[in-house]
Amino acid sequence: MGKPEFLQLLSFQLGPLRIGATVLTTWLLMAALSGLAWFGTRRLSVATPSRLQTALEGTVLALQQAIEDAAPGHARRLLPFIGTLWLFIVAANLVGLVPGLRSPTGDLSLTVALALLVFLAVHWFGIGIDGLRVYLRHYLDPNPILLPFHLLGEITRTLALAVRLFGNMMSLEMAALLVLMVAGFLAPVPLLMLHIVEALVQAYIFGTLALVFVAGALQSHELGKRSR
Amino acid sequence: MTVVLEALNFLVLVWLLKRFFYRPVLAVIEKRRADSEKILTDAATLRRDAEALKGEYESRLAAAGRERDLALARLDEEIARERARRHAVVEAEAAADRQRRQMLEARESREREALLQRQAVAVAGRFATRFLERLAGPELEARLVDLALDELRAAAPEQLAVLAAALREPGARVEVVTAHPLDGARRAALNAALARLAGRTLDAQFGEDAVLKAGLCLAAGSWVLMANLRDELKFFTGALEHGA
Repeated sequence: MGKPEFLQLLSFQLGPLRIGATVLTTWLLMAALSGLAWFGTRRLSVATPSRLQTALEGTVLALQQAIEDAAPGHARRLLPFIGTLWLFIVAANLVGLVPGLRSPTGDLSLTVALALLVFLAVHWFGIGIDGLRVYLRHYLDPNPILLPFHLLGEITRTLALAVRLFGNMMSLEMAALLVLMVAGFLAPVPLLMLHIVEALVQAYIFGTLALVFVAGALQSHELGKRSR
Repeated sequence: MTVVLEALNFLVLVWLLKRFFYRPVLAVIEKRRADSEKILTDAATLRRDAEALKGEYESRLAAAGRERDLALARLDEEIARERARRHAVVEAEAAADRQRRQMLEARESREREALLQRQAVAVAGRFATRFLERLAGPELEARLVDLALDELRAAAPEQLAVLAAALREPGARVEVVTAHPLDGARRAALNAALARLAGRTLDAQFGEDAVLKAGLCLAAGSWVLMANLRDELKFFTGALEHGA
């Protein structure tokens, strides 16, 4: 059960790989975000910025400041990954409001992919700071007995990250569809307005959690180094 | 497989946004920040330069003030000296002027006095002339002739020698002019006195001229004896004028 989807008609098979509506929507969003970025940055001016440039600079500065607050000194390094998470998830959540399209974050495959990337990014940035051995050692702190709990926490929080976004977006669309079926043509409008708020909140939560996980890896390493 | 594809999609999007969004926007922000810092640095440099210039200006102003005070003091001294010099010059000029004025006043006083004296002499001369003109007559003439005879008798030897030399000149003539006709006794007395001086007999020519008013005028060659009222008054007036 689901709402009618335009991109479903364009899905195709590429060898063993099925290119469905979720992937096509993702590509569409990638093209839109990249096009907007290219269009907005093709004529940047230091002295007289345009309104679009001002908005883009404000967005980047807000993202950078949020990252700097959570992980002081690592904003420039984390900005591409965390910032793209926020922007992509906001766009992916809101694209469901466009008639004929469906939020790709309502598909578990995308949220799992993003959660896995966050999981890998945590270790990537953690190892990148001071090497593999030093990074892995923090799993044994404060006591090696806690290692299983550390590992369990890594798995569960990644799983929760994926399922939380998927569940919220999927359930929101399902609820809007059910209200449409039961109540009529204009009844889901309040739910669609709630969709906007929920889309922004879920994007914020996912991005902030990812930032907190990465910052936690960085800060635990620094705390371990300080305690040593 | 879709999960892997979505992960790759996201990584590609990260690269694309990093390449076309974050990097250029951050570069512009950094450039603007650098420009702002450069402007602030330039402004601070300008401020420092301005403060240095201000300090230099104030020190120059203070030096100029000191030089001005010094110049004013010098000027005051020079003005005082010049004032004293000019005061001395004016004092000297005033003294010279005062002396010149005193000399002028003295000269004017003398001239005024001389004028008064001349006027007094003239008045006296006129008075004496009128007075003697009223006294003029044969009696006065007789007395003047007697006086002339006394003078001939009492003349100094040098004068008598000159008269005698004039009377001894060949062809010398003796002419006696009186205001009134002279009586015979006085004519004879005159001839006798002249003959005694000349050492020979003389024949004097007697004549009258009323201009003489009274008395005689005796001419013997180049020697002349004036014993008349006109010449006496002229002598008197001239003596008074020369005496003044």
